[in-house]
Amino acid sequence: METALTPEGLSTDILAIANLPVLWVLALGVFGAIIVQSLVYMKAAKKAGPAADISPEELRTSFRAGAIAAIGPSLAVVLVSIALLTLFGTPAVLVRIGLVGSAATESASASLAAGTMGATLGGPDYTQAVFVVAFMAMSLSGAGWMLATLILTPILRRGDTKLRRVNPALMAIVPAAALIGAFASLGIAELGKTPVHVLAVIVSAVTMGVCILLATRTSATWLREWGLGISIIVGLIAAYVAHTSGMAPAA
Amino acid sequence: MSAAETAVTQNASLAEFDRTTSRWGQLTMGVALLLSLAAPLYLVLSTDLGITASMIWTAYLAVAAAFFVLWFVEPITYYPVLGPAAMYQAFMIGNIANKLLPSALVAQAAIGAKAGTKRGEFAALMAICGAAMVHVLSMLFFVGILGTWLVSVIPTDIVDVARLYIFPAIIGGVLVQLIVTMKQPRVTVIAVVVAALVLFVLVPAVPALAKPATGVVVLITAVLAWFLRSRTATATPTTLVN
Repeated sequence: METALTPEGLSTDILAIANLPVLWVLALGVFGAIIVQSLVYMKAAKKAGPAADISPEELRTSFRAGAIAAIGPSLAVVLVSIALLTLFGTPAVLVRIGLVGSAATESASASLAAGTMGATLGGPDYTQAVFVVAFMAMSLSGAGWMLATLILTPILRRGDTKLRRVNPALMAIVPAAALIGAFASLGIAELGKTPVHVLAVIVSAVTMGVCILLATRTSATWLREWGLGISIIVGLIAAYVAHTSGMAPAA
Repeated sequence: MSAAETAVTQNASLAEFDRTTSRWGQLTMGVALLLSLAAPLYLVLSTDLGITASMIWTAYLAVAAAFFVLWFVEPITYYPVLGPAAMYQAFMIGNIANKLLPSALVAQAAIGAKAGTKRGEFAALMAICGAAMVHVLSMLFFVGILGTWLVSVIPTDIVDVARLYIFPAIIGGVLVQLIVTMKQPRVTVIAVVVAALVLFVLVPAVPALAKPATGVVVLITAVLAWFLRSRTATATPTTLVN
């Protein structure tokens, strides 16, 4: 642990600072931006509808179809988000996991950031200071996606063919390698921790495997959406049983 | 109105739609970007935790090393499917592949609009608005209100254990999901071998590499995956994380 931290920085009461009212206000502001955007877009679509050969009736049907199709996936995200509340507090979870990012990228970012502070995400050394640095790093990383979107969209819109002519093999292999490399590294790093960590990784991985297998073998495609939430819960239950039955090293 | 005049009005009205959506899209996304950065910045500045700029930079570099490729690849990949207006929605709402794209496809099917046409673009846009409303409401209600209450009533010993093991419980499932959806066995093997070698051989030998270890794994995996790629298989676009 860095020595510059003050005694306050070493407190492990994350939720005391993670649920501050200012953070709630800022989080609600992000929700507000999305709502305003949707309202402006819908009004613009209604106005230009005749030119796009689409009737107001069809616009309403599209809205409704999109809303209904999103219910399942949204609730699946809700389940994962609730599991992460104790780690980041409600405002950070709402913005980072619920909106901009995803449970995978954001918890990975937080874990990497905690690692640079010599701490483990959620461990006994996961202090307020570690949380704040992790939160900052996740937000800066999420800003990378938004900035890239803000910069690239106008360029792509102008029909800049150079960007689209990037070697397709490169576009298929490098992102896949970067993604699998990052998550494989994080997953394997967990295997170097306590036996309970190893158990949690394996149980979660096996549960996900079973979910995907059932989703492809049967018609239960909803298992694909819910797979991550189910894997987390089952992994946590296994870890809880193992931890309380004394598999964890004495703290 | 003659056919030519109708075409002119149509173009003008579509151009106005493009202008409105890109101006407001950029504006709302810019606001969301600033608000999302303001939250952690507020904590850094208002609390007396002893956090230094170098701690933040070190953490940021470790995260950026793992993800910077994706910052650029994801927008380029999704642009042809989403179109310019929906780009600003998608990268703010998140969960594009598992929620927004399916919603857009369902809506296009519901009114019989083809992707790539104006009708298709408008149907997708309205569908994403519908999905956004459902998502915003369910996050606020189920996570913001019910979730916060739930955490406050669950016994603290359970919460503590959950916090301790939540990350391994996520990463196992995420990794399997990723490997299955990517369908890139060669890349997967390279990544796992590289990660194991870096974490259990290289880092113990060179402790200075502990902090940027994941970035090192990403870099070596990407380079090896490129040079060891199958030259016969056809390239298929990648499904991404957001």
